[in-house]
Amino acid sequence: MASGGRRFGWRWVVVALGLAVLVALPVAVAALPADDTDVSAADLRARALASDDVAFSGYAISTGGLTLPLGDALTPVADLLSDQTTMRAWYRGAEDWRVDVVTATGETGTHRDTDGTWTWDYADQRATRGDEPPLALPTAPDLLPSALGRRLLSEATDAEVTRTAPARVAGRDAVGLRYTPADGAASVSAVDVWLDADTGLPLQVVVRSADTTIPALDTRFLDLDTTEPTAATTSFTPPTDASLGQDQDLTDLDLGRRLADVDLPDGLAGLIRREAEGVPGAIGVYGTGITVLAVTPLPGQAARSLRSQLQATPGAVVDDLGVRISAGPLGLMLIGSRETGAFLLAGTVTLDALATAAQQLSDTTGVR
Amino acid sequence: MIGVELRKLFRRPRTWVTIALLNALPVLVAVLLVLTDLAPRPGEGPAFLSAVLTNGTLFPLAALAIVLPLFLPIAVAVVAGDSIAGEAQGGTLRYLLARPAGRTRLLVAKLVAVIAFVLVTVVIVAAVGYVVGTTLFDVQPLATSTGLSGTVLTPEQVAGRTLLAIGYVTISMLGVAAFALFFSTLTDSPQLATLGALAVLIGSSLLFTLDAASAIAPYLPTRYWLSFVDFFRDPVLWRDVTRGIGLQAVYVVVLLGAAWANFTTKDVTS
Amino acid sequence: MTETVIATRGLRKRYGALRAVDGIDLDVRAGDVYGFLGANGSGKTTTVRMLLGLVLPTEGEVEVLGRPMPKAAREVLPRVGALIEGPAAYGHLSGRANLALLDAAGPGGSRRSRRQRVGDVLDQVGLGGVGKRPVKAYSLGMRQRLGLAGALLRRPDLLVLDEPTNGLDPQGIHEIRTLLLDLNSTGTTVFLSSHLLAEIEQLATRVGVLDRGRVVLQDDLTTLTAPTGATVVQTPDPARVRAVLGDRVLSTDADSAVVRGTDPAEVNAALVSAGVPVHGLRLQRPSLEEVVLAAASTSADRVGVPA
Repeated sequence: MASGGRRFGWRWVVVALGLAVLVALPVAVAALPADDTDVSAADLRARALASDDVAFSGYAISTGGLTLPLGDALTPVADLLSDQTTMRAWYRGAEDWRVDVVTATGETGTHRDTDGTWTWDYADQRATRGDEPPLALPTAPDLLPSALGRRLLSEATDAEVTRTAPARVAGRDAVGLRYTPADGAASVSAVDVWLDADTGLPLQVVVRSADTTIPALDTRFLDLDTTEPTAATTSFTPPTDASLGQDQDLTDLDLGRRLADVDLPDGLAGLIRREAEGVPGAIGVYGTGITVLAVTPLPGQAARSLRSQLQATPGAVVDDLGVRISAGPLGLMLIGSRETGAFLLAGTVTLDALATAAQQLSDTTGVR
Repeated sequence: MIGVELRKLFRRPRTWVTIALLNALPVLVAVLLVLTDLAPRPGEGPAFLSAVLTNGTLFPLAALAIVLPLFLPIAVAVVAGDSIAGEAQGGTLRYLLARPAGRTRLLVAKLVAVIAFVLVTVVIVAAVGYVVGTTLFDVQPLATSTGLSGTVLTPEQVAGRTLLAIGYVTISMLGVAAFALFFSTLTDSPQLATLGALAVLIGSSLLFTLDAASAIAPYLPTRYWLSFVDFFRDPVLWRDVTRGIGLQAVYVVVLLGAAWANFTTKDVTS
Repeated sequence: MTETVIATRGLRKRYGALRAVDGIDLDVRAGDVYGFLGANGSGKTTTVRMLLGLVLPTEGEVEVLGRPMPKAAREVLPRVGALIEGPAAYGHLSGRANLALLDAAGPGGSRRSRRQRVGDVLDQVGLGGVGKRPVKAYSLGMRQRLGLAGALLRRPDLLVLDEPTNGLDPQGIHEIRTLLLDLNSTGTTVFLSSHLLAEIEQLATRVGVLDRGRVVLQDDLTTLTAPTGATVVQTPDPARVRAVLGDRVLSTDADSAVVRGTDPAEVNAALVSAGVPVHGLRLQRPSLEEVVLAAASTSADRVGVPA
């Protein structure tokens, strides 16, 4: 008769093997190779831009790597760009979709119809009607890989996109596309987009900045189903006991409305000024693609509080020009004084480009 | 064998004391809510508690959410930790095995008894919650409840989804039960087995809150516990629910396997 | 040759470096009352547990009722009743409920006859009138009786009893002894493990003596205590016995003499004819205690300096 140890050891072997199989299974599934397709980068970009008629329902997670020194008024935006956001999405068309931001005990849903959006906030039991303003702060639906991927790629030129290795996203074969902004002032070093090989739908978007290895933003689908969701799923009728509200248009905000028009230069740091719909004349928007710089005059009170906030931020550069910081690809700079007025420069540009722009601005407007 | 274990468990006064204690907290919360009228904001505090002031039929869910994080797993760990080690400590294990109740059969019967305990407990918590909720709070005739997605749920839908939530909460407890059962075969002290399972539970809850542990978060036994809330989204979000069930199943299979490998080759000297 | 009920070959159990049971060969036959004697710590309990499949042997084979253990536990154990290291029961339940649960926990025995069988064994061990009292209110003796009832529940072919009279008063010990002898007379083999010599001597037909994990003695009690070939003479004057019988006298003390010879009548005649007063005569037999002490070395509780 065999010794006790050997006689009964096989049971532990069975358990250990079972455990190994169970642990290895998800790893093995994740390691499945992705099929590539032989399409040029430009064609791929075109397919991505044309994918806005692809209906789907899906589950996505967006992870922001930015720490923004923003005030209380902009906390939702800061959370969006620095935290993990879990989203459920149903998409029937560009003007018929729904995105729910899911939290452990509640959710915030955005329902788009032809006239605008309903936003349902479970925490406040509040339904808000909005009518797609031309200028709006980013919200969760903007971070959905499909929406963000199309928006960013639409800014790229064919020369700026290259092919990268395929990947498996949400269990689907996804072909890789990289958008590298050509502009020297760009703080975004690259935007990686993986597109569904079948439909061209962007499945994952990773925004990388030059100075860190952590992506500034990584948003991806974890589940995706390209069957069309029912109309009942995307539509919304406010519950009878909910409170109703009207969304504030960003152009109604204090920001720049009461500011006198200032003569802003036509170019800053090599970026050309462009016309943007809905933007007050006092605010200048410069640049192309995803290399954008916005310049806005600030009232004295706002400038003072922002200045102390920026100066307290770790890594802030304070010199004769003003104070400037960067958070991932985002750069912020405040110049000016109580006597001459103040300007806020913000955008996806490098700190050096910010300094150059500040110098030029100071020269043309006399603000210092 | 399973019948024997069920009879043993439910004829034991301690089992009912545990269930009674478990119900005390939600009832206390309900009474305080009625007296003070201070419901937490939606999305804050235990899930659904905000809604019960206007709709008492949601209180079973709030009661589950109240006991789920701590009270229920403690009760499960106590009962499951006692399963083998308690028999060993009382000396009855040797008589059961000499009877003979096969060791594997005994182990499975113990697990089934623990599952039955969880199910009975959860159902009682929900039932007490329903009675308390409908007597203490307002119930509108033809009450409509607003789900998390802002859609209206009919009373039938609420009832059906509450049943699903009860089932899911029961399944969520299986991992803790399996840990306690495994530890129960390692030691002759039921207290030690219970503490071991609670240590796993607390460790898991702690790691879950830690960003640095996010890589292992999907494998933590407590990861998908709160997902019963997903039944009240519209459409129902099955993703975390199915993952939660799968995860608990893996824990049960692996730990029951380990318990089996240990217990069937163990010298019973108690 | 009668059927072998318990047979072990080279049975060994090691706990690390400790050899609790060190290669024993037991041989218990059908109809025996087998007295398994040993000091505390000699390996009795470990052996009993290996017979029942509770402890798994490191080496060696166990056969109970002709089948290998623990492999055939499911066929063997329903025919075995056991009392292992004291009784155990669920304190919050009555004795009746405890027995019903134990009966239901294993194979064999129909559900319908359960109530009847439980009632019968309770009567048998003298607990028939105990009612619904929970076991935690039982005295030590009552618990012992309940444990015995559990062992008898299946009408077993083999009873393995570890210290069955523990905690009983003299009256109770007598009752249990009578019960065991009754059962044995109807064909039940009894394996009785005890450290009480007197108990074994009064009950057992065969004896095995365990000393530090080894069987040092295993034989029929009648063989072990067979006449030595000498006669013991009770007399107020042992010196005169020596004078009459000379070198036939093996030893003397204050009121007796040991004389070689297996016929007391012949010894008596010789002494009476010589006018020696004789109060009594009997064949000399060794007591079990003497046999055991001669075979076993020293108490296992003693912790001496290793030689």
